[in-house]
Amino acid sequence: MASDRLITFSDAIREALDEEIARDERVYIMGEDVGVWGNLFGCSRGLLDKYGKDRVKDTPISEAAIAGCGVGSAAAGLRPVVEIMYIDFISIAMDQIVNHAARWHQLSGGKVTVPVTIRTQQGVGFRNSSQHSQTLESWFVNVPGLIVVTPATPYDVKGLLKSAIRNENPVIFIEHKAVYRNKGHVPAEEYLIPLAEADVKRPGRDLTIVANSWMVLHALAAAEQLAEEGIDCEVVDPRTLYPLDTETIVASVRKTGRCLVVNEAPAEAGFSAEVAAVVGERCFGDLKAPVRRLTGRRTGIPYDKELERMVVPGVQEVLREARSLAGR
Amino acid sequence: MKCSKDEALKLYESMVVLRAVDDRIVPLKLKDLVMDGFHPYVGEEAVAVGVCANLNPDDYVISTHRPQGHALAKGASMQAIFAEMLGRMGGPSNGLGGPMQWVDVENNFFCGSIVGSGVSYATGFALAAQKEGNGRIAACFFGDGASNTGSFHEGMNLASLWKLPVLYICENNQYGEAMPVKDFVSVPRISERAAGYGIRGLTVDGMDVLAVAEAVAEAVDSIRKGDGPVLIETVTYRYRGHYLGDPDNYRSKEEIEQWRKKDPIDRLGAQLIERWKASEQELSALRERIEKDAQAAEAWALEQPKATLEYAVDNVIVPLAGRSA
Repeated sequence: MASDRLITFSDAIREALDEEIARDERVYIMGEDVGVWGNLFGCSRGLLDKYGKDRVKDTPISEAAIAGCGVGSAAAGLRPVVEIMYIDFISIAMDQIVNHAARWHQLSGGKVTVPVTIRTQQGVGFRNSSQHSQTLESWFVNVPGLIVVTPATPYDVKGLLKSAIRNENPVIFIEHKAVYRNKGHVPAEEYLIPLAEADVKRPGRDLTIVANSWMVLHALAAAEQLAEEGIDCEVVDPRTLYPLDTETIVASVRKTGRCLVVNEAPAEAGFSAEVAAVVGERCFGDLKAPVRRLTGRRTGIPYDKELERMVVPGVQEVLREARSLAGR
Repeated sequence: MKCSKDEALKLYESMVVLRAVDDRIVPLKLKDLVMDGFHPYVGEEAVAVGVCANLNPDDYVISTHRPQGHALAKGASMQAIFAEMLGRMGGPSNGLGGPMQWVDVENNFFCGSIVGSGVSYATGFALAAQKEGNGRIAACFFGDGASNTGSFHEGMNLASLWKLPVLYICENNQYGEAMPVKDFVSVPRISERAAGYGIRGLTVDGMDVLAVAEAVAEAVDSIRKGDGPVLIETVTYRYRGHYLGDPDNYRSKEEIEQWRKKDPIDRLGAQLIERWKASEQELSALRERIEKDAQAAEAWALEQPKATLEYAVDNVIVPLAGRSA
């Protein structure tokens, strides 16, 4: 494809923001250092100069006010894209999101919409230790009224972010800090990726690996190696955690009969538990082995480089679990 | 303040409406038709009425867990308030919200039961109004207790920085649940906190509707002109408990009686007779008319159906195109 380019995950986000700010005058972005710095990872670099302070707003370190301002202005007709710099900081903003943003559409009998996109990033990878590295996505999956998205590739992040901004619901859009510099194929032409649609990242016959966010990349790397060993893995990335595209997951597991769920968060009531439950409920008769989960350890994220890597799943752990599940 | 007899009568009528509705909710609560989420507003009527008299229909109101007075003063019907209190269709949230959380789109009215939250999200409504540039403002009510929350600090700082059109109304009703204000607020006057955000703060007698209305008129004028937020602390009192049926063991009967002597409705009634030469018969006829209206509104609400289960689980999200979820 002539228009195909290799760009980074950060650049893909910046293009999505740029295109949506240009497209709709109601769209604005706001957060800590989104303007002059252009975000920690360069995701909004240059946009302040291009669009000015009314559309690209640097804020105080005030997560409740950032979220609240986004939520209120969305209900009043704007389409804010607000940034919470690290998902760990979203604890300060939870009330605005959970008690207000998620409730107003229903309490208004469907008359009010709250089209706010809350961009943030989670996970390990920068040795940021226990208050800057957590994987908290499942908190939001369990709140009625919210959409939750965890993109893994430059192509996905651009198309999904544009859809999130155009969506009428509050969307918790969770990136991963370890993938911002990854490059991927992104068309120059505009495109959207629908929310709530999983993507089969790699087709396979023997075993389904359901993984999201950074774990998708581990699953794909492991699948390449497993193919050489004669284990043909299908890698399914839900991309949107709620509403979950259960059909794609179920179809894959019915085909392969084996399911490994890979997730960076602790197992207990994490997103891996939801996937395992869906597979257990829908695919029981098709399973050749119990659903298996590979998850982060139930611990604070340690500072040390090796320890940080060891408490969350990596390629080696995916290989080990997949081989075992495949009976090798 | 300058005020015609008609204007004073309107303020009087509005306060009588608020009290008539509140007084009628009490027996409904005692019959368990309205639940503990009902927080009586009786005694504080001058605040809601004095503020909302200065608002336009398209201004936003951000209210609290004690919203019924603000809602009525902003334009909600008595029918709608009774219905929401009773959990019936016909309330602003068709009874799904109940006594302390609803969204009334027609009146640009949002309220909720998390103390302090509104100070943060009011900035969003104000930002949207500022972008529109048509003079709309957000009036944000909160109680004394809210002034100690992080959201209060974050929201007020942001609103001041961006000169957002927000009117902050603190209803200092002397108690945060059972705790007296002096035991949990670190300054003598909550309005002093405005200085910390570089905005104007003032304290007014919240039992005097004319004083509230005058202070708010001046503040709203400057806010609409783009001069940024103003914080008005209104000193007021709730005659009934934090919620109806609370132990009320944290204050004396004498204290309640002292405040009742400052009753905002009696006070304006006396002024109407002395200053505007209204007759006692005129006022009592007005009160009787409102009482009948309230009675009819309550009867109407009691006839409304409850929401169905189907409705109660609907509108959770706006459906996504092409997906069943």
